[in-house]
Amino acid sequence: MSLQGNDNRGIRELGAEKKVGWDEVTQGVALNSFVGESENSAFLKAEERNYNDFNSYTATVASWRIIKPVYNRDICIDCQNCWIWCPDTSIISRDKQMLGIDYDHCKGCGVCVEVCPTNPKSLLMFSEAKDNNEALAGWPVKEKKVKN
Amino acid sequence: MAEKFELNEVEVWDGNYATSQALRQAQVDVVAAYPITPSTPIVENYGSYVANGFVDGEFVMVESEHAAMSGCIGAAAAGGRVATATSSQGFALMVETLYQASGMRLPIVLTVVNRALASPLNVRGDHSDMYLGRDSGWIQLDAFNSQEAYDLPLCAFKIGEDMSVRLPVMVHQDGFTTSHKAQNVYPLDNDVAYNFVGDYVPVDEMLDFTRPVTHGAQTEEDWHYEHKAKQHKALMDSRPVIDRVLAEFKELTGREYKRVETYMMEDAQIALVILGSSVETAILAAKQLREEEGLKVGIIAPRCIRPFPYDLIRDAIDNSSNLKAICCMDKSAPGGAMGMLFNEVSSAAYTTNTRPLISNYIYGLGGRDFAIDEAKRIMKEQKAHADAGHITTNIQQFSGLRGPKLGFYETRRS
Amino acid sequence: MVEIRWHSRAGQGAVTGAKGLGSVVATTGKQVQAYALYGSAKRGAAMNAYNRIDDNPITNHETKMYPDFVFVIDPALAFTDDITKNDKPETKYIITTHLSKDELIAKIPALQDKVERTFVVDCMQISLDTIGRTMPNTPVLGAFMKVSKLYELDFFLDNMKKVLSKFPQKIIDANMAAITRAYNEVK
Repeated sequence: MSLQGNDNRGIRELGAEKKVGWDEVTQGVALNSFVGESENSAFLKAEERNYNDFNSYTATVASWRIIKPVYNRDICIDCQNCWIWCPDTSIISRDKQMLGIDYDHCKGCGVCVEVCPTNPKSLLMFSEAKDNNEALAGWPVKEKKVKN
Repeated sequence: MAEKFELNEVEVWDGNYATSQALRQAQVDVVAAYPITPSTPIVENYGSYVANGFVDGEFVMVESEHAAMSGCIGAAAAGGRVATATSSQGFALMVETLYQASGMRLPIVLTVVNRALASPLNVRGDHSDMYLGRDSGWIQLDAFNSQEAYDLPLCAFKIGEDMSVRLPVMVHQDGFTTSHKAQNVYPLDNDVAYNFVGDYVPVDEMLDFTRPVTHGAQTEEDWHYEHKAKQHKALMDSRPVIDRVLAEFKELTGREYKRVETYMMEDAQIALVILGSSVETAILAAKQLREEEGLKVGIIAPRCIRPFPYDLIRDAIDNSSNLKAICCMDKSAPGGAMGMLFNEVSSAAYTTNTRPLISNYIYGLGGRDFAIDEAKRIMKEQKAHADAGHITTNIQQFSGLRGPKLGFYETRRS
Repeated sequence: MVEIRWHSRAGQGAVTGAKGLGSVVATTGKQVQAYALYGSAKRGAAMNAYNRIDDNPITNHETKMYPDFVFVIDPALAFTDDITKNDKPETKYIITTHLSKDELIAKIPALQDKVERTFVVDCMQISLDTIGRTMPNTPVLGAFMKVSKLYELDFFLDNMKKVLSKFPQKIIDANMAAITRAYNEVK
């Protein structure tokens, strides 16, 4: 999902950047994150920042993924567990409200599903080829605890 | 605002004190240090300047030399003028971070008081640590006495911080022979010294919040090679900047330094190539031999060890048309090879017209005294090579060593 | 070139004394070296300090020297150190001892043929009386001024005061008294 029109998230495949020669690489491998000056970047949301090509924000690794998490807004309790645990900051949350998955950077590790506490889970793994709406339509129901 | 430190026109300073005064006058922002003999007084004195308000800097006491250079790297990446000092084992522990500093193009100044490397443990001076740093991508300058241990750090900041260089710089001096020997030193006025060094101009500094920046990024084969090539070019291209800064220093003080110092080479028939405090002793020996026996001896002393001055060594040889034999004096255990100076000078000499005979002496390990009489004996031995037209001894020999004569490799050239 | 070798124990101030002498000499336009060999020696270990003084810049960094003056500032070292090492026919010896010159020379064979070149002064007692502890480094310089005639005593005292200027006045005064007494008492 893209949050606004000029968001440059994942606009290129990671590794597809131009391989410049020794005369064009940066001095001392210093890598600036933004185009030009960016005084207040700490106060901007990711999609509002002017990231440049040295920042992984503009690169996509979507093609690395074989299975993907699908998010079900109807069950989610906005506990932020997935946001905390995601190793690739690919859970998009605003004002403590879960919005969805950053499919440009999610590698399909499934940690978000593991840590989701709801019943049924609000995040489940599906084949990358599966349509999200189809996945949501077949969402499992609440499991009853079985008494011995 | 820092307190004014009163200086006399002539001071009697040892090399350590002289260097610490240069760091004070350069108004270093951060010194992160883990003291080690014989360089301890450099950072100890700097700490006292901070504590007594003579410099508006920070002294960071860390837990090892590895941490000391790491702290320096952090402070330099943050955007400060940074320096520290070390020796021997401390230098060895620092090596991993030395490569980081040069790769990150941070103009840190490291003052190294040369000392032997264990084992056996030894606090006295030889050039083992200096040689250990020679592939680390730093500029390496060598001071021969206390005055130079004051002058060269001032030049080092200006060289390393030059916008076309931006590389870290080591300034070496000999442990005890220079670091603990008080001699007449003529310091600059505080303002004159600072104005020569100039205000620090940071590049890609982490504390510039308008341009957030990543330092120390990882690359694999896709980028590493290009970055190392660019770094090497900056090191090689620092030569004219070093020449310019040394020329500006001469303009200011009258004290002339060159990337390669040559003495009495115009008519020299034989030459010694030598580093550190031994240079001055060798000059004295050469003058005495010229007076006593009319033997025309010259001295070649690389002031700059990295980037190695192949250009000027070649010039020194080509400009001495009578030169027949060169002896390279290495004050470091060679570890299964010829000494560093022998290898570098030989490769420079290979493309000269005269291609003089070149031999190698290992000497002075662990602080063994370099005696004038021994220097003269070595010079006379070179004369014998020159007269015979070939090297009459093993190519590599050991000077001042007890026990049976030790040497390796015989010449095949006649 | 004037060359001086100090025989001392680590902690007796030979390095400070050698540097102090160097600092005074440098104010008169001369070139100096002041250095020591001690490395990792502990307090009390025998050690040497050295001075070179010349009108021209000194480039000799050989440690070994043929001294013009030998200062022995610890009484026991006169017996245990090789104090006449690299002796020259004109080398002068200034030795700290409570013994008379005759008594001392009688006990040290190496000095038997150097009677005219040997001078004694009790720097230990002098420093105890004036400075309050055994600190033989400054008194021996007073004796040196007398023996060498390098400078007038008053000139040396004035310049030594400047060298010691970072110390409290009481310490400076005590050192001046020690130098003066040694100057007067050296035999």
